Amino acid sequence: MSAEHWSAKLQRFDRRWIFLVMAVAVVVPLFVPLGLPARPDPMTKAAFNAVEALPSCGPDDVPPKCARVFVSIDLDPASTPEIEPFYRAVVLHLKRKNAKLVFATTWYQAPPLVDRYLRETIEAAIAPAGTDGYDGAADRPYRKGIDYVNLGFRDGKGAIIQAFGSDLRGAFDHRADDGTRLDRIAMLDGVNKLSDFDLIVLVSAGNPGAKEYVQYVGTRNKLPMIAACTAVSTTDLAPYYQTGQLIGLVAGMAGSAGYETLVGKPGAGTAGADVLNIGNLVVIAAIVFGNVVFFAGRRYQRRGRTS
Amino acid sequence: MTALPWVDIVGYWIGIFLTICCLSFLYKDNPFYKLAEHLFIGVSVGYLIVLQYGDNIEPKVVGAVFRGEADGGWWVLRLVALVLVLMMFVKVVVPRWSWLGRYPLAFVVAFYAGLQINAVAQAELGAQIKFSAGNIDAVKVDLNTAPVDALIALPGSSGLVATKLVAERAQRPFVSVDDAVTRPSLTDLERADLAGARGNLIGLDAKAAVGPGQHDAFGIVSNLLLLAGLLSSLVYFYFSIAHRGVIGGVSRFGVWVLMIGFGASFGLTVQGRISLAIGRAYDVLGRTVDPADADRIHGPVVAVVSIALIAAGIALWERRARRDAGDQAGSRGQS
Repeated sequence: MSAEHWSAKLQRFDRRWIFLVMAVAVVVPLFVPLGLPARPDPMTKAAFNAVEALPSCGPDDVPPKCARVFVSIDLDPASTPEIEPFYRAVVLHLKRKNAKLVFATTWYQAPPLVDRYLRETIEAAIAPAGTDGYDGAADRPYRKGIDYVNLGFRDGKGAIIQAFGSDLRGAFDHRADDGTRLDRIAMLDGVNKLSDFDLIVLVSAGNPGAKEYVQYVGTRNKLPMIAACTAVSTTDLAPYYQTGQLIGLVAGMAGSAGYETLVGKPGAGTAGADVLNIGNLVVIAAIVFGNVVFFAGRRYQRRGRTS
Repeated sequence: MTALPWVDIVGYWIGIFLTICCLSFLYKDNPFYKLAEHLFIGVSVGYLIVLQYGDNIEPKVVGAVFRGEADGGWWVLRLVALVLVLMMFVKVVVPRWSWLGRYPLAFVVAFYAGLQINAVAQAELGAQIKFSAGNIDAVKVDLNTAPVDALIALPGSSGLVATKLVAERAQRPFVSVDDAVTRPSLTDLERADLAGARGNLIGLDAKAAVGPGQHDAFGIVSNLLLLAGLLSSLVYFYFSIAHRGVIGGVSRFGVWVLMIGFGASFGLTVQGRISLAIGRAYDVLGRTVDPADADRIHGPVVAVVSIALIAAGIALWERRARRDAGDQAGSRGQS
């Protein structure tokens, strides 16, 4: 009886070893950071430049001196590791310019997250003066109804996004999330639809999200929009960036890390990108390993047949 | 900063326990994984129902139709919506009238088809065809005349760098790319960014020049590749001609292009899944909360205790399953 070839043994390799190696690859760099550089790609840089091009104003200035930015937070807890770092970085970037912010969401899972984000990043300063490892301009706590408005959640997927493009006030029944009538909020004077904003920032984990904004309102109204998406959605949204339908695109955790680098405040994205690089190396090693075993096994079988 | 309330700390503990429950599926399907799965579906559905009631049914149906809170005659439309919803449930009460449920479905399908056709025609077909049918030629950006937008798009550039380059060239036109990237108004960091992006193939030197009409060779090759990839992929899906000879070769190239596209999608999907694992590891290690709160949560300890509990539970469950299998084999042997 001939001995079993090594490739045949390895083809029965228990895949749970790979899970274990991946778990170690994810956890160990969290304790021992490698500090690999998070270099922003051109799409991320374009998103940064779009925010950078907005006018800066003083804390007590009002539009049109200050930019008005619509931020749609369409995500769920599962997508937060990838795009929450971008959200925090872009909000710091916008707050440094004292832009007036209007928040909304079309995802039913998002409202609890949005409430937490507003508490942690809008009503409190993200990078007050003296923050460790941050040399940029300090931000300040925003005042509800003066510096920012939360419109809240609206269901209706693509249909409601189309309504944002034609009658934003009507889509939210003329009230903010806390019940305040929109016509009593001075920073919204003259804002009736998405095209009245200077920039639209889409923090988008899927459907409805950036794709629907591009399809239903962005292309038709030529809206200046930047988006952050999960890595999975990148190949769907990248063509919109190439055609200029999106003026910037931040793709997954790696893109978020790049944006953090540009803003100058490394956070969860930068730390995560370090881990991500190691995870990617493990995946590449697993693919090479699988292919070596497969081709060695095939070669052995062919030799066996010919001899 | 306000300390995290106890109820939130318990919430974190439950979250860590459920994370380990879900990961236990990597060993094999087991009751702990099932518990997490069912809990997730139950909580999601319950949350969605409450949210839909509060956001839609209560204000738009109950309030508008029964309390008269709708403006003008809009309540009639709300009533129509209510009737359509009720028609969906008719088959539960009177199965004979189940056909009534087709009308609201037809309404929804027709509504979204109308919405989608228009949107896709404009955003996908129109814009994408326009881009794909662009000029094959790629011209370098002339640093002395290009607008700010074109300068921003250059490798190593940014909004601020582009503005500075425009100011610099107004004082004295650039004589070379080297001249542009060493002007005094640029900071050391900006110069380093531009220097890092230099390169004759795809870098700054390939994309920028100091005179008009210079060609970007790599850009032209990219455009040709895009055109070849687009056409060959379309040929692969053209089934009215047999894929033999030249058409077969083109079609095969199209398959390779598609495979590269799918490979990119797969790679990004894997990247997304690793990001999820990183997110959970962050939560377990308490990196997403204030350090003082993380000390109160004791995430790693909770994770170790959860692993121990789940491992013991799975061991007991497997032992019981083996015993039950043995009993069944015994009873079959007796019969």
